[in-house]
This record gives sequence, C-alpha cells and structure tokens, in this order.
Amino acid sequence: MQPRSGKAIYFDGMTSARQTITVEILDDALALRTTYGKAIGLWPAGRLDQLSAPDGLLRVGLHGSDGLERIEIRDPVFAAAVDDMAETVDRTGLRERKLRHRVVLLSIGTLFLLAIMILFAVPAIARRLTPYVPFAIERRMGDAVDVQFRQMSGADDATLCGQRPAQAKGLAVFDALVARLGAAAHLAVPLSPAVVQRSVVNAVALPGGRIYVFQGLIDQAQSPDELAGVIAHELGHVAHRDGVRAMLENGGVSFLFGMLLGDFVGGSAVMIATRTVLHASYSRAAEAAADRFSVDLMNGLGADAGALGRILSRIGDAHPNEGPKTLSDHPQTAQRLAAIARQAAAPPYRPLMSASDWQAVKHICTQE
Amino acid sequence: MTVEATSEASQTAVPAAPEHPATAAASRPAIPEPPAASPPRAVFTGNEKAYWRLMVRGAALQTVTLGLYRFWLMTDVRRFLWCNTAIDDDSFEYRGTALELLAGFLLAILLLLPFYAAYFLVTLSLGIMDAGATIIGFCLLAALGQAASYRARRYRLTRTIFRGLRLHQDGAAWAYAVRAILWWTAILLTLGLAYPFAQTSLERYKLRHTFYGDLQGTFEGSGASLFARGVGLWLLVMVPAFAGIAVSAKSIDWAALVVFAPKTPAEIAPWLESASPDYGNAVVYLMLAIGWSVLAACMLYPLFQKITLRWWLNGLRFGALTATSDLKAGPVYRAYFRFLMYGLAFTLIAGGFSALLAAVAGTALDKIDNATVSEVATAVLMLVGYVIAALAFSTIYQVTIKLALWRLGVTSVTLNGSAILDTVKASGQRSSSFGEGLADALNVGGI
Repeated sequence: MQPRSGKAIYFDGMTSARQTITVEILDDALALRTTYGKAIGLWPAGRLDQLSAPDGLLRVGLHGSDGLERIEIRDPVFAAAVDDMAETVDRTGLRERKLRHRVVLLSIGTLFLLAIMILFAVPAIARRLTPYVPFAIERRMGDAVDVQFRQMSGADDATLCGQRPAQAKGLAVFDALVARLGAAAHLAVPLSPAVVQRSVVNAVALPGGRIYVFQGLIDQAQSPDELAGVIAHELGHVAHRDGVRAMLENGGVSFLFGMLLGDFVGGSAVMIATRTVLHASYSRAAEAAADRFSVDLMNGLGADAGALGRILSRIGDAHPNEGPKTLSDHPQTAQRLAAIARQAAAPPYRPLMSASDWQAVKHICTQE
Repeated sequence: MTVEATSEASQTAVPAAPEHPATAAASRPAIPEPPAASPPRAVFTGNEKAYWRLMVRGAALQTVTLGLYRFWLMTDVRRFLWCNTAIDDDSFEYRGTALELLAGFLLAILLLLPFYAAYFLVTLSLGIMDAGATIIGFCLLAALGQAASYRARRYRLTRTIFRGLRLHQDGAAWAYAVRAILWWTAILLTLGLAYPFAQTSLERYKLRHTFYGDLQGTFEGSGASLFARGVGLWLLVMVPAFAGIAVSAKSIDWAALVVFAPKTPAEIAPWLESASPDYGNAVVYLMLAIGWSVLAACMLYPLFQKITLRWWLNGLRFGALTATSDLKAGPVYRAYFRFLMYGLAFTLIAGGFSALLAAVAGTALDKIDNATVSEVATAVLMLVGYVIAALAFSTIYQVTIKLALWRLGVTSVTLNGSAILDTVKASGQRSSSFGEGLADALNVGGI
C-alpha cells in the first residue's frame, strides 16, 4: 500500500524561502498544505511537470504556469506514489528516451534530405540559374577564381610564356589562333588566353573567358589542329558557362554543409570552386557537350576536328593516372573518342597555320 | 553561483585573492551558534560513470546526425552539471531545452546569411580575396562572437533556477564586446601581462550585471592579486624564450646584414653562417630556450588553471554572500594526467585498429581499378577517421578535465553569509536563445 501523503520542500517561485509542507495525493490532483494544515494549492495531475533533478530527488512543477513554484520530494516511496498517480511524471525517463529516439530519427531524415539536395537539387538549381548570371558578374567571379588558380597552378608573371623577344612570334600566332576560334564561336565574353610554363598536360577555362594552356599540352600536340581542338573544347566550356555553374553548385553545397556543421567559412567557397575546376572536372554531359562544340567549330573552319580525339587518347596512354582530369581522365574516355571520330568531317582539311608559325607556337615557352 | 564558476572555468583560471580579513573574522563567531554549525559548502553529486555514458552516447549520435544532436547533448550536459551542483542540499536546475537551442541556431543562421552574402559580394566586387578582407572579416566576427557569448551567458543564466528563483543578466552585449576586444588587444600587445587586469574588468562587468532574483552579483577579485600569483609562471615561460632570442640576435652582425641587403629569405641563412661565427651556437641555444618555454608552458598550464579558477571563485559575491575557495593544485594536475593517460590509451587502440583497417581496405581498394572511386573511398575513410578521433579526444577532455575542474571548483567553495539566500525575491524574465545560436554558428559556444 503506497502512502497517500508525505513531506516535501516547497518553493513558492516568488521568494527563495524554503518551506516544509505536506503533500496529499488525491485521485486527480496533489493537495499542498502547510504543516499546520493551511491550503497552499491544488495541483491537477494533468499539469504536473517533472523537472530535472539529481538522483534520489523528485522535483515537480506546475506545467503551463509562468511561475517557478515547485516541490521537492526526497522520500523514494512517496516519490514513487506521486509518479504512479500522475501520467505526466516520468521518473524512469521512458518518455524522454522515446522522444530522443524520434529526434535522432528526424535528424537522420534531415541528413538524407540534405544529401538529396546536394546530389540533385543544388545542381539543378545551379543549371537553371547559370543563364541568368550577368556577364559582368561572371567576369568578377573569374577574377576571384583567377587569383586562387594562379596560386595553386604556379602560374605567375614569371611563368607566363611569350614575354621574351624570341617568344613574341609564338605568342602572336597563339593569340591569333584563339581569336580566330573565338570569332567563329560567337562568344559573348571577350577571351583572355595565356600559356603557362608548366609541364602539366592540360588546358583550363575559368569563368569570364580566361583560358590557360600549359606548356605540357603544347609539347604533346603534334599538329596545330590538335592544339586548336583542345582550345575549342575549352571554348565550349566558356560558351556553356560551365565554370559559373560549377561555382554556383559548389557555393550551394559548401553553404549547406556549413549550415549543418555550424561552421561557416566565408570566402572559402571560391577556393573550393577553383579546386573543382582544377581537379574534379565537370560532369560527363558537360564534357561531351564541350567535345561536340569543339568538333562543330573545327568542322566549320574546315580544320581536322578528329585531331582532338588523337591528342586525348595520346595523353590518356601516356598518363593513365595523373594529369589533366579536365581533359581526359574520365571513365568514359573511349565513348568520347568514338563520338568525336563519328562527328568529325572527312578530309581534305584547310591548314590552320603555316609550318613556320606552328614551329613558333611550339617554342612559345623555350628559353634561349 | 557555482554553476557560473565552472562554465567560465576554461577561460578564467585565476589566482586566489588572500582571504578577506573581514570575512574570516565574520565567519568565526558564526561557528559556535547552533543553527549554523558550519558555513555551508557547495557540493557536487554527479557520478563520473553517468557522465561518461552521456558523453559517449552523445558523441556517437553526433556522428550519425552529422552534429545535429549537439543541441540535445548540450542540454543533457547542462542538466547533469546544474542539477548535481548544490548549495546546502538545494540543487540548481537547468530549464533550457534543446529545441530552444535549435531555434536560436536557425535564427542566427538567418541573421548571418545576409552578413556572409554581403561579405562575399563585397570581396568579390573589390577583387580582394586576400589578407585585408580576411583580417577585417576576422575582426568583425570576433566582435560578433564576443557579443554572442555575452548573450549566450544571459540565456544560460535565465534558464538557471535555484530555490524556485531564476538568475538573470542585464547589461549590453555590444558594450561587453567592445571591452573584450580592447582588452584582448591589450593582452596581445603586452604578451599576456594584461591578462589579470583584463579578466578582472570583464568579470566585474559580467557579475555586476548578474542577478540571483533581486540579489545583484559583484566581483571582488583584484587584477593585482592575480598578477602577483601568475607573474612567476609568466616569467618561467617567457624569460628563457626572450633570452634565447636576445642571444641569437646579438650574435648577428646587423650592420653587415644591412650592407649585405639580402633579397630573398633563402639567401640569409648561408650568409649568416659565414659572417657570424657564433651564429650556429646561438641557434642551438635558441632552440633549447624555446623548447624549454614550450615544455614549461605545458607543465605549468594546470597550475595556471588552478590559480585563475580559485581567484575567480574567491572574487564572487552576491550581496552579503561570499565564496571562499581552497582549491589545490594536486587534484588539478591529476585531472590533466588522467586526460593524457586516456588519450594515450585511445591513441594506441585506435592506431592498432586503423592499421588493421588500412590493411584490409587497402587490399579491397586495390581490386578497384577505377582511380576516381578508390580516391574518393580513401578520402571518405580518412574523413571518418578524423571525425571519430576528434570526437573521442573531445569526449575524453570533457570528462577527465572539464568535469573534474567543475567538480573541484564547486567542492572547493565555502560560503559565508548564506542567510541572505532565504530572503531573495523573484526578478527577471527568460531571455531568447538567439545568443546561444549565434555563438554556436560562430563556433564560440561555451559549456
């Protein structure tokens, strides 16, 4: 038989005074009385609120009241009796545990939702938004990425080719080639091409029409059409604004992650985006579209569009695991090569430049 | 008050002010009186095993929820610490909820969103993603962080109930932030010598604006006394480093260096070796001196914690209620030693386990000849390993050091004038959890 009444400490929520009182368990309420029998209050069972307390102490308040009045029961037998009477008193913490399980499940659900956002929603939004980014903004983004890119790729004023007198002709021919391709492509942004004295076999298009070709690629190219094909591929990225899309995508993803982890790192979105352009490459569809762009452009100029496929496969053979991911290291390389070969027009071809001009381009980075 | 004590303990270790003669005298006649047989002590009833369980489970759930569980863990931790801290049989109570913290955090994100967007756009349009923008951004965030931590303290205080009354805090977060930023600048400029005075000023501001019901707090600790206690440590750490720098600087022929005028840093070292015969010895001495300084700093850090915590506890006043702490250095050192031992044990076990895993995963990954897939798989494994290690060390730290410092701090306190606790009246309202959310979003959250 459980006790129907017992002693408790009472705080009235208005003063810090501690009162010892008598608590009587009624059918659906607790009756609080002073030890002299004077009524303090009647607490309905449905409004009892168990409060956090150390082990061995049952602390009960009145739910839904602004006040802080509470009773503290130390006698374990009487505490158990109050617990049994009131549905809302959860002395064993069972209700709390159930609530906690729900929280964990909800959190995992949120994460799942977030993963879907990152995998599907963010790319889709970025794709839709890209056409509406003004070219002035694209140029700004390009400027910001350019600073990072130059640091990461080792391109600086000292490693830019074409600065010395002996390299001037090569640079002039190179610029003329890019200008001719650009004019044929009807691009909306002006191009700023540069050749970097680095052995990486790669070429990169940044947002805003900046195009970097590395010396390694020029060394690998066996004909003007191979070099032109790669540049035309990069112009495809410029025309499709793939760089802007990648920045929007990465900005969105890093923001979502930052939000989740409570750890925003402001300007780092630019850096992450740069890294993506450098390493992780664009999607398969973007690469195929850029290939297609290159082939159409080269066909239009009467040049050898299939040369792009030849240099890609040569780079792939020579550097199976390292090197220009933006260009070649793609699982679907074979498919890409086949598509290029299929779409390329048959000979005869019109030469893009004279043999002596091509020699000048090949020596654009040569130090005498 | 004890609740407060430990929540600040990490930032605020401080030297013990000599016991006020007046206080000591006042407490003595109280002893023979029957009702107050001895001045009440603060007690801590928390069980370390329960705390381990709480923290380990919390760490595991944080991993699966990518950190979203932290609001619930934080709330659990505070409930545990608060309700196991008692004065004279009356334990504290934490009334905050995890949902409040989550709401505050989401609100803070809404506020920070335009802030970050503006910052991003400004740096983009000015074309400066460089040091200047970073420094300005850092200063703004530091000020915002200090203001947020003050508001967060207000949230914690208004969720703290003692004997049916809540604590609260007034004062302006921005006023506090400006003070804190100025003081921290002074600390940096004086190589730490301003620290005691900075702490005194900031704690005075905080306590002056802290109330238990209608009872206002004050902070009586003095910067000079903390300085006197801590300056020895400072000298032990700094003097050898300064001496090393001075000796090696003296061995260099500065006039000749100016004439030589090196263009790149790489040119300096070979030239120095040929031009200054003592340079080699000086470098060795400099290394030894700096090594000593680092070692001394590590060895003395627990002592520093003890000094500052005791100083802080001794300075606490609420009306006539005064606290006296007899915190000793031994137990504090024991706590840090336990941290090292647990950390070492974890490192050994985790190291062995990950070596095994690396061997197994390595052979499995070799079979995949797609370079991208194995690269991504390796990166994911590394990331998971890093998260587990970071959470494990943080958990060990929370239990072996944070909890120990809380317990030691609380149990070291004797209270005088506690009769005033019977006559306090309610005052103050609950504050929003926005400050906590902001502090969390900015990574400056307290306990």
